[in-house]
Amino acid sequence: MRWLMLVALLFVLVGCGSEKAEEANIEAAKTFGDGVTLTEVTAISDMLADPEKFDGQTVLVEGAAVAVCEHRGCWFAIASDVEGETLRFKVEDGVMVFTPDIVGGIMRAEGVFTVNTLDLETTRKICAHNAEEAGEEFDPESITECMTYYQVAGTGAVLLKAVE
Amino acid sequence: MKKFRKVCRWLHQHLGFLAVGLTLVYGISGIAVNHAHHWDANYQRGVEVFMIEPAGTGPTVDLLPVVIDRVKPALEIKNSWRQEVDIIQLFVEGGQYDVNLLTGEVIYKTFKERTMFYDMNFMHLNTGKSVWTGIADAFAGLLIILALTGIFLVRGSKGLKGRGGILMGLGFFLPLIYIVLERYL
Repeated sequence: MRWLMLVALLFVLVGCGSEKAEEANIEAAKTFGDGVTLTEVTAISDMLADPEKFDGQTVLVEGAAVAVCEHRGCWFAIASDVEGETLRFKVEDGVMVFTPDIVGGIMRAEGVFTVNTLDLETTRKICAHNAEEAGEEFDPESITECMTYYQVAGTGAVLLKAVE
Repeated sequence: MKKFRKVCRWLHQHLGFLAVGLTLVYGISGIAVNHAHHWDANYQRGVEVFMIEPAGTGPTVDLLPVVIDRVKPALEIKNSWRQEVDIIQLFVEGGQYDVNLLTGEVIYKTFKERTMFYDMNFMHLNTGKSVWTGIADAFAGLLIILALTGIFLVRGSKGLKGRGGILMGLGFFLPLIYIVLERYL
């Protein structure tokens, strides 16, 4: 009887915390967060050419993942339709975790496009951090202009294919 | 009170055994991810540098087969990306090649899941969500039950009214003093 109570207690505890399993997306090899709901893809090159126009808009972007956050997996860089251009897809730590194996795969990602202008102090801190990661010397005084960066604050993404 | 203590002992004893496996998973992974700024708790990473004959900076479509052949004949790539005019990246399973088209320097970066740690971190951080959310919540519930039932296991000077009470107070005091010092002073 006691054993029965113990098992029942465990079932209650498990049941309290269970979430509804995500519906399978047959087009996606892997789904992150809420997945994607939009169907029309916005070209990254269009957004980067006229960022103010898209600032604050919810967009769907598609392209190869070409870099991923090595520490927390909290962002990945998605390649533009124009060579050399990338856009960062960023989420809060732990909300979604992007693993290195997505790099090279084609991602569809949805979120709010934002234009972010930093103050000079923050710009220098970021440049110092980047230089440290790259193992390069850094002189804060060499930075005289504030940095503006663009990113998509992500709500969901899908890996369309991991291997061509 | 005697019966209550008996129930506590029974629960503590049995749930304690049940919790051993998950406690080790969460404990070991906890230490691992606590030091994420010191090491990569999930992946072993490697870097290898070698040289190839520079391919020059022509159009990507022309360069790509040449670069692939020079890096490694019959190399199977997932994708490629012209990061900069003089840098092309080749993405392969488990890594990537960053090829400098002007100097011919190739940086081969690899990653590999850390045995056991990757899986323990996967559970600890609830990366898979879904059913593990329920299991993790149940485990958290077990820990709460273990903590509460543990209070009543020992009587007398070693129990709540004596040494046990002092240790329990210390357990509350440490996080409290930390958070006050760190966040409010």
